Amino acid sequence: MKKSVVSKEYQKLQKDIIRLQEQWKTSLDPDCIRPNHDKAAMEAGVPVTALAAIDFDISLFLQWIEDIGELLSKYQPELEKVMESIKKLLDEETAKRWIDEAFAFNHIYFASFAEENEVDEWIPQFLAETLLRPYLQLTAEKVQDEIQYGVHGAGCPVCGEPVRLAQLEDGGKKVLHCPRCLAHWHDKRITCSHCGNEDHETVQFLTIEGDAAAQIQVCEECKGYTKVIDTRQYIVKPTSAMLDLNTIHLDFVAQENGYKSAGETKQTN
Amino acid sequence: MAKAEYVKFVDVTKCDGCRACMVACKNWNDLPAEPEAFQGSVQSHANVTANTWNVLSFIEHENGKGNLEYLFRHSSCFHCSEAACVKVCPEDAMHYTEFGTVDVNADKCVGCGYCVQNCPFDVVQLATYKDKNGKEYKKAQKCTMCVDRLEEGMQPACVTTCHTDAMEFGTKEEMLKKAEKRLGEIKERFPNAMIYNPEGVGGTHTVYVLAEKPSVYGLPEKPKVPTSAVVWKDYAQPIGKMMLGATSMALVGAFVSNKLFNKEGKDHEEDGGGSHE
Repeated sequence: MKKSVVSKEYQKLQKDIIRLQEQWKTSLDPDCIRPNHDKAAMEAGVPVTALAAIDFDISLFLQWIEDIGELLSKYQPELEKVMESIKKLLDEETAKRWIDEAFAFNHIYFASFAEENEVDEWIPQFLAETLLRPYLQLTAEKVQDEIQYGVHGAGCPVCGEPVRLAQLEDGGKKVLHCPRCLAHWHDKRITCSHCGNEDHETVQFLTIEGDAAAQIQVCEECKGYTKVIDTRQYIVKPTSAMLDLNTIHLDFVAQENGYKSAGETKQTN
Repeated sequence: MAKAEYVKFVDVTKCDGCRACMVACKNWNDLPAEPEAFQGSVQSHANVTANTWNVLSFIEHENGKGNLEYLFRHSSCFHCSEAACVKVCPEDAMHYTEFGTVDVNADKCVGCGYCVQNCPFDVVQLATYKDKNGKEYKKAQKCTMCVDRLEEGMQPACVTTCHTDAMEFGTKEEMLKKAEKRLGEIKERFPNAMIYNPEGVGGTHTVYVLAEKPSVYGLPEKPKVPTSAVVWKDYAQPIGKMMLGATSMALVGAFVSNKLFNKEGKDHEEDGGGSHE
């Protein structure tokens, strides 16, 4: 039995990044995020972070860039120079833009930024996303108590990330977890979390032989999939981010079988 | 790096005798079914066997008030800290894992059965297999505490399937604390209740909260590593190996002296070589 296909070294890097993000989050002033508790918007599926007022601290941002640069060059020394050149590019305005575009998941902006400044394409968006997460996670912590259920098809109620990971918790409850902002909310066991389909004939499961704790819930209506992991079987519960990474083989299996991480909305007349 | 020491905590007072642990064990470890004759009670097997690593025992017990108590116990390997089976194994097939549990290395096991004779709980048994020439051979078999699951950070199969949470799995410290707490809760209903974590075998990695005295459950009150096992492993075996060493040295000496001083032997060897052609 092998639980993860991800190399130990990459897992270690990710764990280090998660640890950094945890530190960064605790260094944030809790009042720098003021979520808008608009019930109507939440019920309509608008992610909380879209309406929250976030005071963005440029000095922290630059410090974090320093931290992550140090970590990355520990794993890949050739990145040290690249990180130096990126630090020079980041003035307050660019940093703000990065956060905004990371939140909007604007990969076109980051791709063109990388091209203009002659750095590898993955670097700007990776950095911006990594630095955005502590803000998202703090927001999630603040509103967690108000989130019981999500809106099918709207993704994570806090950050809008498409649903792809659920855990079976005490009593066999299916709890959806967002690996991005770490928010969690409930859903019915036999329900497609993308389109809300409750028909047991069309909500099905793919299982991997020998993988006792994992199944992929797939929906024939919207072709969406959700990884469902029975973490009750784990000795120590991993964080959602690590769990998502370590079950990446399930994403491959689902996608090779024609399912998508975000379900399709059926067009009706 | 030594990993945390884990303990399976079995609270028999929560068990409802559903036997899902037996099924989960068979399923995970791919063990064949063993049809059994009716034993006169709901219990399926008289004891654990080489292919049934855990058995739910059903005990009809008359309690102090003259009432019938139906007692259930998930019985399997105790994974002793000072395990007699490890002590007596001449091939080091029985060994401690990094989690503190006891496991059999099937490649090393020669099926001598010393572990079977010395286990204070009658847990280890020999399974019979046939090789491709139809020759029978034996290997010791017992609960592995699902070591293949532990290595991947998962709990044993029996624990994950238990629907009444009669079984839990976690660090030794945490589980012993839970056992103490539970004992306090049930003392009123079961005055003889106790924690079964016998010291004679250095403590175990399956710790029970029993509702009655161990003997009621057919368990030894004070199990210990048999003296014969200690004598065997700590004295007889080393001396035997020393003797073997002495014998080998004598043989080598004889060989060398023969080579050096026996010229006739050399002639004889040359003759022998020629006759083969």
